[in-house]
Amino acid sequence: MTLAYVPDDTAAHRLDPRTKLWFQIAFAAAAYAYTTPRGLAALTLLGVGSLRLAGGGLRDLWSYRAAFPVLAVAPVVAGVTLGSPWLRPGRAVDTALASYRVLLILVVAAGYVRSTPVRESRAAIQHAVPGRPGQFLGAGVALVFRFLPLLRRDLTAAREAVSARGGAERAVTDRIRIVATAGINRAFGRADRLGTALAARCFAWNPTLPRLAFGRTDVPVLAASALLAAATVWRVV
Amino acid sequence: MATNTESVDLVGDEAATNLARAALFAALVGAFAYVTFPNPVSPVSVTLQVLGVFLAGIYLGPVWGAASLVLYLAAGALGAPVFQGGSAGVGQLVGQSAGYLWSYPLAAAVVGAVVHRGITLRDLDTVGLPSLVGAMFLGTLVIYALGVAGLALVLSLGPVEAVTVGAVAFLPAEALKIAAAVGIVRSDAVAAA
Repeated sequence: MTLAYVPDDTAAHRLDPRTKLWFQIAFAAAAYAYTTPRGLAALTLLGVGSLRLAGGGLRDLWSYRAAFPVLAVAPVVAGVTLGSPWLRPGRAVDTALASYRVLLILVVAAGYVRSTPVRESRAAIQHAVPGRPGQFLGAGVALVFRFLPLLRRDLTAAREAVSARGGAERAVTDRIRIVATAGINRAFGRADRLGTALAARCFAWNPTLPRLAFGRTDVPVLAASALLAAATVWRVV
Repeated sequence: MATNTESVDLVGDEAATNLARAALFAALVGAFAYVTFPNPVSPVSVTLQVLGVFLAGIYLGPVWGAASLVLYLAAGALGAPVFQGGSAGVGQLVGQSAGYLWSYPLAAAVVGAVVHRGITLRDLDTVGLPSLVGAMFLGTLVIYALGVAGLALVLSLGPVEAVTVGAVAFLPAEALKIAAAVGIVRSDAVAAA
C-alpha cells in the first residue's frame, strides 16, 4: 500500500501544516542528538503517538520497505571485521541505534504525509520560502502530485506493450531504453500541452492559496517542537 | 480563502513551458522509481531514478535539470510517493538515503554542464560520445560519493563499511543505465528534445 494523504478529521489533520513541518524537523534533530537507548525510547513514544494521532498505524510503514534491507544489514556490516576479533558488538550496537533512529524519523514523516493535503503543503512552502523561488516550488510541487499517476500509467503501458511483443527476450539495456524513451516522449508531450494550456489560462505567479492560521490545537505541538529543539541545542552545545 | 488584492502576476510563455517541463520531468523521475528491471550482474534489482537524473541534465540542461530534481525532492518531502519503492516524507531527506537524494540536483547540474559545455543548451546531435559518457560517469561519481558519505554519517559506519552497504551491489547497474541513456540520446526517438 502506498503512503498518501487520507482525508479524515483527526487531531493531526486539524493542525496547521507549518506546525507539523516544524515538529518533524525538531524531532529529527532530537533523534540525531539523543541516539541513546533512553533517548530513543522516549522518542519512540512520541513518534508512534504522533502517527496514531494522524490515524496511522503499522501498515503505513510498509511503503518504506525498500529502506529496510539497508537499515537491517548496516549493523551487521559495522559489527563484523575481517580478522581478529571478528565481532565488535559495540560498533554493531552504535549502528543499530542509528538505524533505529532513521526508522523513527520515517514514522513521524508518515504521520505528516497521512494528515496533510497537497494544497496546504503548497501554501506552507510558499509561506516558508518567500518570492519567486517559493512560488516556483509551490506550483511545481502541485504539478508533480498531479502528473505522477499519469506518468506511472504511461510507463506501465509501455512495459506491458514491450512484454506483449516478447520483449522479455531482449537485453535489459534495450528494454530500459524502450520504456524510458516512451516515458520521456509522454512527459515532454504532456509538458508542452500543459505549458500552452497554462499560458492560455493566465497562469499566474500569485494564485489564491488556502489561508493558513495557527489555532489552539497548534500550541501544544509547537511547544513540544520548541522543547525538542531546546533539548537538542542543550545537548550539542 | 485568502484574497489577493494585488494585481495578477502572469507567468511568461517561456517560463510556463520550462516550469511545466521541469515538473513533468520530476514526476517522471518519481514514476521511474516504480520501474524495476532484473540486474544481470547483481541480486539487487535496478530502478531507473538515476537514469532520470542523467536524462534531466541532458534534455533540460544544468539549470532546469537541477531545478527539476529540486522539485522532485520537495514533492517527495511533502508526500508525493516518488522516492525508492514509492515512499515519501521529510524523513527520507534526513534518513539513510539522504546523501543519494541530495546529490540528485547536483548530479543533474554536472551532467548538464558537461554535455552542454555551459548553461545554454546546444543541439544534442553535436555532442560527442565521449562527453556524453564522461558526463554521466561524473554524475554517477557525484551521486555515489555523496550517497556513501551520507550513509556513513547517518548510520555511523566507517568508509569501507559504507561502500559495502551502499555502493558495491548497486554500482554495476549504473553502467547499464549509462548505456541505455546513450541509446536514448543517439536514437533520435525523443521528439521534443
